[in-house]
Amino acid sequence: MLPTGTGASLSTILTALRSPDARLDAPVDTGHPAGLSAANGYGFVDTRRPVLVLNDVTKTYPNGRDALKDVDLVVPEGDFVFLVGASGAGKSTLMKLLIRDELATQGTVILDGDDMARLPRRKVPMVRRKIGIVFQDFKLLPTKTVRENIAFALEVTGTSRRRIRPAVERALALVGLTAQAEQYPKQLSGGEQQRTAIARALVHDPKIVIADEPTGNLDPLISWEILQLLLRINELGVTVLMATHDADIVTALRKRVVALEEGRVIRDEIGGGYHRAG
Amino acid sequence: MLSFLFFSISRAWQGFWRNAAMSLAATATMTLMLLLLAGFWIIQAGFLASLTYVEDKVGVVADLHDNIKDADRLDVMARLSAMPEVRSVEYISKDEALQRYREERAAQGQDDLTSFLPTNPLPASLEVKLRKPEDYRTVAGLLEIEPVVAKVQNIEDTTDRLVQITTFLRTFGVLLLAVIGAIVLFIVINTIRLAVLGRAEEIEVMRLVGASDAFIRWPFVFEGALVGLLGAAISLGVLVGAAEPLSRFMVGFFQILPINVGSISRDVTLLVVGAGTGLGVVGAWVSVRTYLIR
Repeated sequence: MLPTGTGASLSTILTALRSPDARLDAPVDTGHPAGLSAANGYGFVDTRRPVLVLNDVTKTYPNGRDALKDVDLVVPEGDFVFLVGASGAGKSTLMKLLIRDELATQGTVILDGDDMARLPRRKVPMVRRKIGIVFQDFKLLPTKTVRENIAFALEVTGTSRRRIRPAVERALALVGLTAQAEQYPKQLSGGEQQRTAIARALVHDPKIVIADEPTGNLDPLISWEILQLLLRINELGVTVLMATHDADIVTALRKRVVALEEGRVIRDEIGGGYHRAG
Repeated sequence: MLSFLFFSISRAWQGFWRNAAMSLAATATMTLMLLLLAGFWIIQAGFLASLTYVEDKVGVVADLHDNIKDADRLDVMARLSAMPEVRSVEYISKDEALQRYREERAAQGQDDLTSFLPTNPLPASLEVKLRKPEDYRTVAGLLEIEPVVAKVQNIEDTTDRLVQITTFLRTFGVLLLAVIGAIVLFIVINTIRLAVLGRAEEIEVMRLVGASDAFIRWPFVFEGALVGLLGAAISLGVLVGAAEPLSRFMVGFFQILPINVGSISRDVTLLVVGAGTGLGVVGAWVSVRTYLIR
């Protein structure tokens, strides 16, 4: 069982979500952060809407390995969450479940009110448009300029040209790449490439940004720059979920930390370090 | 809908030129494969025409008795002409038979000895052309029992052999064309698959930013069609360029064959354009599908 004891409140949320008259965007008592309430000794009711709910999620791959085991996680809107753990702890699998690249073997994954398991295939693209994804290896298209890479995310979702141009300008300004807009990825530094990728993730106004080791390929100084950018995005109201190995960053920022080990959540605390305190 | 079409086509055009090396390699393969297909199609058409030409030569020759009434002969000829198996009936008189014999001897450079004969020894005959050599027995059997007929020249064995050989060659030709078609299909689809594989990252990004299947698929399908059409255009250009010198070289050969150049070039054009576009579209569809089924 989780040391934080969030299981009971989770089932309350899910019951509320499943009842026919439930409004998915209504504030729900997530009971989080239980770790905090346990630590400071007084009750805490989080009235923010959960943007992400995992209930008792298990993912077993065809080879029989459990990549995730009984994972419970609630992320309210506007949260900034670090997902930490060694390679193979299940971080990537968790990310794949969120973007519905994989389906959970057991349990429920709900993103902004959509139950992934019940989502018809043709609706999957609509859910992905609520998510901005950032990768360690940037995944920029080498044959397109910075501007085209960012606009690409809107073009392929059928956005009209009239609306693409201002959205791209805004995203470029936010990540500070207006001057480099006409350059190709290979002409940019690693940090600039990752900023391009972040702009692409943001251009369609996502509810949540999922970043998979976004600083993994960058040196410490540039990593901080990227993190400053993610924090700013979070301040604008976008929920951020960032998987990372970078202990310095996690420990320094004192944000919510969810630690995975062998597919289980072993720690979920606000203001935690990379390693368990004490 | 219109803007989606515009989007797909412009993305296809962009995709083609931004990955020029891969696109041109696919187009080159497509062109070579279409030329191979067209080449075998033309050879097959000529081959079938040759077989038909040879089969047309098969006929029943019936020698007639001397001194029969013209009315009896005409009656037999009329009845033969009415048979569905018979293409034509020709009467060769004794004089004509002698004339032909002399011409044949002269053509072979041998002395004509017939002038030393007191009378013309050659019989008059009926030459019956058949629609299909398989009907030889039926027609020959009927002629044998006609009173005006002295003897039916027996070429039964030869006809049987010929029918065997042409049937075999026809089947072989169709099989060969089918094998070539399968090879072309396989190679073209694999080439397009490679071209799409080279852009797996682009497809992945599209999926991750929430592009619907149609937005991912159709640009690639149009791009495949573009590769096919371009390959077809180049192939037809090469064929038109080659047609002139080739036909001059083969003019004597083709003149004797019952070959319809107009219908062959129409068939080949349809084949090249149809196969090119079809293979491009199917290849792209199948290749992209791999990434969409998840």
